[in-house]
Amino acid sequence: MSLEHVVGLGIVLFSIGAAGFFLLSNTVVLLLCIEVMLNAVNLILAGFSRYLHGTEGQVYIFMIMTVAAAEAAVGLAILVALYRLLKTLDMSRINFLKG
Amino acid sequence: MIETILFWVLALAAVASALCVVVLRNPVNSVMALLAAMLATAGLYALMGATVVALFQVIVYIGAVLVLFLFVVMLLNIKGPAAGTPRNPAAVAASAAAVGLTAGMAWLGWRAVNLSIPAGAGGGLRPEAGVAEIALELFTRHLLVFELTSVLLLAAAVGAALITRKEKDPS
Repeated sequence: MSLEHVVGLGIVLFSIGAAGFFLLSNTVVLLLCIEVMLNAVNLILAGFSRYLHGTEGQVYIFMIMTVAAAEAAVGLAILVALYRLLKTLDMSRINFLKG
Repeated sequence: MIETILFWVLALAAVASALCVVVLRNPVNSVMALLAAMLATAGLYALMGATVVALFQVIVYIGAVLVLFLFVVMLLNIKGPAAGTPRNPAAVAASAAAVGLTAGMAWLGWRAVNLSIPAGAGGGLRPEAGVAEIALELFTRHLLVFELTSVLLLAAAVGAALITRKEKDPS
């Protein structure tokens, strides 16, 4: 296991999350795709932290985890409010901002 | 040797379950697949010697975030889209562009890393970045950021409560 392996795995995971984010229409799964992407970034940070023999990367991972938790809480709250308003969470039906 | 085998097993598990998150139709199954991906990633952290991060991955992500997701999915009773719904061509193009951009950024970043790090700078596994070492970093050099993230969490909690609150009758 080398830095190349870890970074490659992170890139593959990030691509899966990014592609899913644009392909899917269920809002909850979109938030899950964001979590996949954040996880991939965390993995790359841990890899570099090990490669450079430091603890900085792990400290950054804690920050990213906190932001991810906050994002999940606010995102899910918005979803609940949206569902109350529209009775659907299908992205193709939520198009207020469409020109 | 055993490390390489473990890495490949965990990496394949992570990629397969991440694919399941995207492919599976039922949101509950997606959340469960993400749980598997998080567990595999926690294993990778432990393999890399970042045991504290692995611990927090299990506690924070699996214990808090994914349970929150499960609660919402089950409370709202969300159905997946009907099978065979046509894909929006713009969405397909956008996802292809996202993958391409990720690959491009990775290539550029890789070149930058190769230019800036002398060969043979790393390699060996750092013995253990234990709790004490990380706590020392977190509470001395990164104290301000640490406190700011706690404020961020508080703001997010208050905001979530405010957003989901039922509107009171104005009368």
